[in-house]
Amino acid sequence: MKHYLKLVNFELGRFIKVYLVLIAITIISQIAGIIVHSNNFVGRANESMTTMEQFAAQNGTLMMSDFMLTLWFLGPIALCIAALIFYCFLIWYRDWFGKNTFVYRLLMLPTARLNILLAKASAVFLMVLGLVSLQLVLLIAEQALLQTIVPDVLRTDMSIAEMGNRTGFLQVLIPESFTGFLSNYGIGFMMVFILFTAILFERSYRWKGILLGAVYAALAVTVFLLPLIIQLILGMNYLYPMEVFLAMLTLGILVTGTSIWLSHYLLNRKVTV
Amino acid sequence: MKVKFNNRDPVYVQVIQHFKQQIAAGLMEPGQEVPSRRELAGRLKINPNTAQRAYKEMEEEGLIYTERNLPSKITRDEKILGAVREELMLEAVENFITSVQSINAPLDEVVELIQKKYKEKEAGEGGSHD
Amino acid sequence: MIEVKEIKKRFGRKKVLEGVSFDAKKGEITCLIGINGVGKTTVLNAIMNLTPLNSGQILIDGERINKNSYEKITFIPDAVTMLPRMKVADAIQFMRDFYQSWNDERASELLEFFRLNEEDRISDLSKGNAAKVNLLLGLALDVDYLLMDEPFSGIDIFSREQIAEVFTSHLVEDRGVIITTHEINDIEHLIDKVILLDNGNVLKDFRTEVMRAEEGKSVVDVLREVYKK
Repeated sequence: MKHYLKLVNFELGRFIKVYLVLIAITIISQIAGIIVHSNNFVGRANESMTTMEQFAAQNGTLMMSDFMLTLWFLGPIALCIAALIFYCFLIWYRDWFGKNTFVYRLLMLPTARLNILLAKASAVFLMVLGLVSLQLVLLIAEQALLQTIVPDVLRTDMSIAEMGNRTGFLQVLIPESFTGFLSNYGIGFMMVFILFTAILFERSYRWKGILLGAVYAALAVTVFLLPLIIQLILGMNYLYPMEVFLAMLTLGILVTGTSIWLSHYLLNRKVTV
Repeated sequence: MKVKFNNRDPVYVQVIQHFKQQIAAGLMEPGQEVPSRRELAGRLKINPNTAQRAYKEMEEEGLIYTERNLPSKITRDEKILGAVREELMLEAVENFITSVQSINAPLDEVVELIQKKYKEKEAGEGGSHD
Repeated sequence: MIEVKEIKKRFGRKKVLEGVSFDAKKGEITCLIGINGVGKTTVLNAIMNLTPLNSGQILIDGERINKNSYEKITFIPDAVTMLPRMKVADAIQFMRDFYQSWNDERASELLEFFRLNEEDRISDLSKGNAAKVNLLLGLALDVDYLLMDEPFSGIDIFSREQIAEVFTSHLVEDRGVIITTHEINDIEHLIDKVILLDNGNVLKDFRTEVMRAEEGKSVVDVLREVYKK
C-alpha cells in the first residue's frame, strides 16, 4: 500500500507541469470567454434601438448553456480530453522510450508489479477527476461573472444540472445523478484498464502484441455491450432497463477484473524491457 | 605497496611471494602487523577473496599468525623466517642456473662474474642495506 | 547461490540463448564474457525477470524471483535508469523510498569516493559520472547479489580505475557478483570465475585461480585458445 501511494505520487509528479498548463489554459479561456461573450451580448442589446425587454423578447435571454457551446468553453475541454488520452499512452511508453530507460527501475522495485499498473491508472483517474471538479467550480464562477455583467432582464440563470441537460453531450461529463456519475466514470475507468492491457500486450509481444491488444480490446468492449447488442437483435424491449443496467454493471466489473488480471500476468511473466 | 601481477600464476601465490620477498629483504619485521584482508585487497587492487586466500595459505605455512581477535602478525619463528630466506635464495639461484646453463657458461667464469657484478652493484647502491 | 538452468531465449527467429547453465555463488565475482552477441545482457535481464524465457529456470537461493527478491539482488544496467530531470539527490531519495535494503551511510561514502555532487541533474552528468551514479544506486543497497552490465564500457580511464577499485573494496565483499564484459584486461585479477558465452552457448566455465594454478594460463590465453578453434 505504501509503495502504491508512493508510485501514484511519483506518476502525478511526472505529469504535473503539463497538467497545470492544461488547468491554466482552461481557466484563462473559459473566464476570458464568459467575459467577452457576455459583454458582446450586452453590447448588442445596448446598440439595438429597442428596450432591453424588447431585445430579450426578440433575441432570447443569455444563458450559460449558450456560452457552453462556444469554442471558448469547448476548446479547452477538447484539449484536456485529447491530452489525457495521449497521457494514457505516454504514461507507459515513456518508461521504455524515454531518454533513460526508467522501466528497468520500475520493474525491479521490491513491490508487486500490479502496483505499477494500479498507480498509473489511479494517476489518470485522479487527473480526470481533478479536471472535472475544476470544471464544476468554473461553471459556478462563470455563471457568477455572467450575472454581474448581464442585467437581470437579459439573462436566464441555470442550475448545474440544467446546464448539463441543455447541452446534451456535456451530460456525459457532468451527469445529473450520482448513479449517472458512477456509471459514466466507471465505464471510463474500465476503458482505461482495457487500453492498458492492450498496451501491455504490445509491450510483451511487440508487433504481434498490437494485434492481440486490438483483438482483446474489441472483445472486451463487445462483452460489455452484450446486453445492448442482444436488445438490438431481439428487439428493443426484450429486457427491462434495470436488467440491462445490472447486466452491464456485472459485465463491466467482469471486463475490468479480467483486464487487471491479464495485465498482472503480462507484467509478471511476459513483459520485456 | 605496489605489485605488478602476471596473468599466468595464481594471484594468491604471487601475493604470498610478495610477502616472502618483503620478509627476506627485512622490509617486514617479525611480529609486525599485516594489513587486514580488506586493506590488502584495496592496496594491491585484488579481489578480497584472493587476499583472504593468500592469508589463509600464509597462516597454514606459519608465515603469519593470529592471536584471538587481534590483527595478524608476521611470525617471530626464526626457523620459518630462515626457511623463507633460504627458499627465495634457492629459487633465484635455480632460475639463474637454468639460464646460464642454457648458454653452456662454465661455472668458474660465472662465479667470477657474479662476484664482480655483485660488488659493483653494492658499491653503486652505496650499500644501503645488507 | 544464483542457479541458471538450461535457459533458452529467442528473439523472433534469432536464437540468443540455447540452453545456458551456470551458477554464481555468494562471495564470488563471476564474469560473463563474450566477444559478440547480445546473450550476456539477456542473461542478466532474465535473472532479474525483465524478459521472459522460452524455457529453463533461474533460482536465487533456491527460489524463483519474486517481489521480495529485489531486496536481495540488484541489477546495474549499462546506463542510468533514473529520469533525466532528477537530481542525484532525487534519485537517491527514490531508492530510499522504495528499498528497505537502502544503506544511507554507504551511499554517502560512495558519493564521497566518486566525488559526485548531489545537486547535479542526471541529464547534465558526464558519461563517467553517470556511470558512477548508476553504480552508486546499486552498490548502496545491502543486497546479497549484484549484477553489473558492462560497468567499464565507454568510460574514461580514470573513472574506469575508480570503478575497478570498487571490486577490491568492501563494497563487493561477501556479495555474489555477476559482471558482463567484453574487455577482460582491466579486471582479470579481480574475478573468481569466468563463463564464456558465444552464440548462445557456454563454451567454457572455469575458475581463474584454478586455471592459473593447474594450466598456467591467463583468462586471455583461454579465450585465445577457444576462439582459434
